Amino acid sequence: MTIFEFLFPPGSFDIFLNIIIILIKIAVVIGVVMLHVAYATYFERKVIGRMQVRMGPMEVGPHGLLQPIADMLKLFFKEDIIPEKADKTVFYIAPLISLMAALSSLAVIPFYEGFVVANINVGLLFILAMSSLGSYGIILSGWASNSKYAFLGGLRSSAQVISYEIAMGLSLVGVMMMAGSMNLSEIVKAQAEYPAGIYAIPQILGFFVFVVAAIAETNRAPFDLPEAESELVAGYFVEYSGMRFALFYAAEYIGMIIMGCLAAACFLGGWTVPKYILAILPFLKYVPGIVWFVMKVYFVIFFYYWIRATLPRYRYDQLMAIGWKLLIPLALANILFTGVIKIMVE
Amino acid sequence: MTVQELFKKIFFVEILKGMALTLSRLFTKPVTRRYPKEKRPAQLGFRGLHALVRNPATGDAKCVGCGLCAAICPSRCIYIYTSEGPDHQKVVDRYEIEVLRCVYCAFCVEACPFGAVVLTPHYEYADYSREDFYMTKEKLLENWDKYMGEKGFEYFDKFWNPKSTHFTTPEGQAIWRRKSG
Repeated sequence: MTIFEFLFPPGSFDIFLNIIIILIKIAVVIGVVMLHVAYATYFERKVIGRMQVRMGPMEVGPHGLLQPIADMLKLFFKEDIIPEKADKTVFYIAPLISLMAALSSLAVIPFYEGFVVANINVGLLFILAMSSLGSYGIILSGWASNSKYAFLGGLRSSAQVISYEIAMGLSLVGVMMMAGSMNLSEIVKAQAEYPAGIYAIPQILGFFVFVVAAIAETNRAPFDLPEAESELVAGYFVEYSGMRFALFYAAEYIGMIIMGCLAAACFLGGWTVPKYILAILPFLKYVPGIVWFVMKVYFVIFFYYWIRATLPRYRYDQLMAIGWKLLIPLALANILFTGVIKIMVE
Repeated sequence: MTVQELFKKIFFVEILKGMALTLSRLFTKPVTRRYPKEKRPAQLGFRGLHALVRNPATGDAKCVGCGLCAAICPSRCIYIYTSEGPDHQKVVDRYEIEVLRCVYCAFCVEACPFGAVVLTPHYEYADYSREDFYMTKEKLLENWDKYMGEKGFEYFDKFWNPKSTHFTTPEGQAIWRRKSG
């Protein structure tokens, strides 16, 4: 056996090629998502600005189009301040945990037919697990900052994320029951064969619970109590500055994009279009799947901004009441309902 | 709870109404004025930067140095220094306004019996040092040339009701001066 054969046994070339393909896929996904994160901030400021009859960013580039790039450069060159009494190690790690958890959820999302970095059978569970891990980043940053505002923000955020995670997990159970799978690609394929085309119609209750829980899960208005400006300055990341702050910011927006992708894949039919629409407008089948998927994600993200521009922040007891007394019973009722219908149909 | 209230609560009618409103605002024109690019002209009679009126006949200030403006000024920011000239006339040596202390009440304009001091509609005079806001007589005359000029007299007469032409208070206007005796 030569050294060459030892290092590269037969069949190793395929493995090697697979790894390279996966690496390229990861690079593409992260690159595209990071670009989306940058321009999601621009889109948010524009949409909310116009809804409040303002203009939003206008100065950097035509219509302020280069604003995200200017912001990124600014954050990159800002001074990295670490509080003297902070727990340094945890302070360094916390934003990385948040970002890592958010980015790794992207691995299981099917962007269009066959394009998914890791086509695993527990895709939905993986995303739920990763969003739970993300809350470690939040509570650790609140603890490590050694500041009461950050700490209160971290506590609020973890309490909120834990209570809304239950509702979100339960709201997705109906989808899992209908599709008979937790693999997101399989869920999309099951939806394409379903007569209604999208699960948002039969699972309207589950969809409602999911959307509300997703807003709370990503700590956005009207459930943005962890970063309530009037009470907590900025919440768990008060003491962070420069690039570390940007990591938290990116994690929040990636979280939003993931929730948008999840809503698109589980409830809105992913990269497919309902058959009855294709029957009326047959030319739509020439539109590539990625376009449909991206349009659905954009719509969900726009919906987030729309909600933010409309509603004021809820009180903390109202937030907890909505989570435990409204969404969880609704989600449980939805599961029961779906199960009964499924048994009756079969 | 009536059926109507229950319906409203279940389907979040109020939240949906609010969202319809925000969505309709999305398609309206923003009311923003992009200030340094789009300048808004000052309204007539706007009380901006100070100026001393230049007498077209002599080319010097109309001011005779009576000091009424300095006397009425509530923030005491007008300084006048006079001396006696060769023909025993009063000569105004220095007429200075500390603009940073001015409250723009325009009492000086109302008090002046010769219509010699005025507030121009110019309002963009931000600068870097305190000295730039200390207006000497030359600077004040320059302000007149720059921001009022010849058309300034007409504007001045129309909106400032100067004591040089109108000695009486307009009919029906409340008078703040104490009645004598």
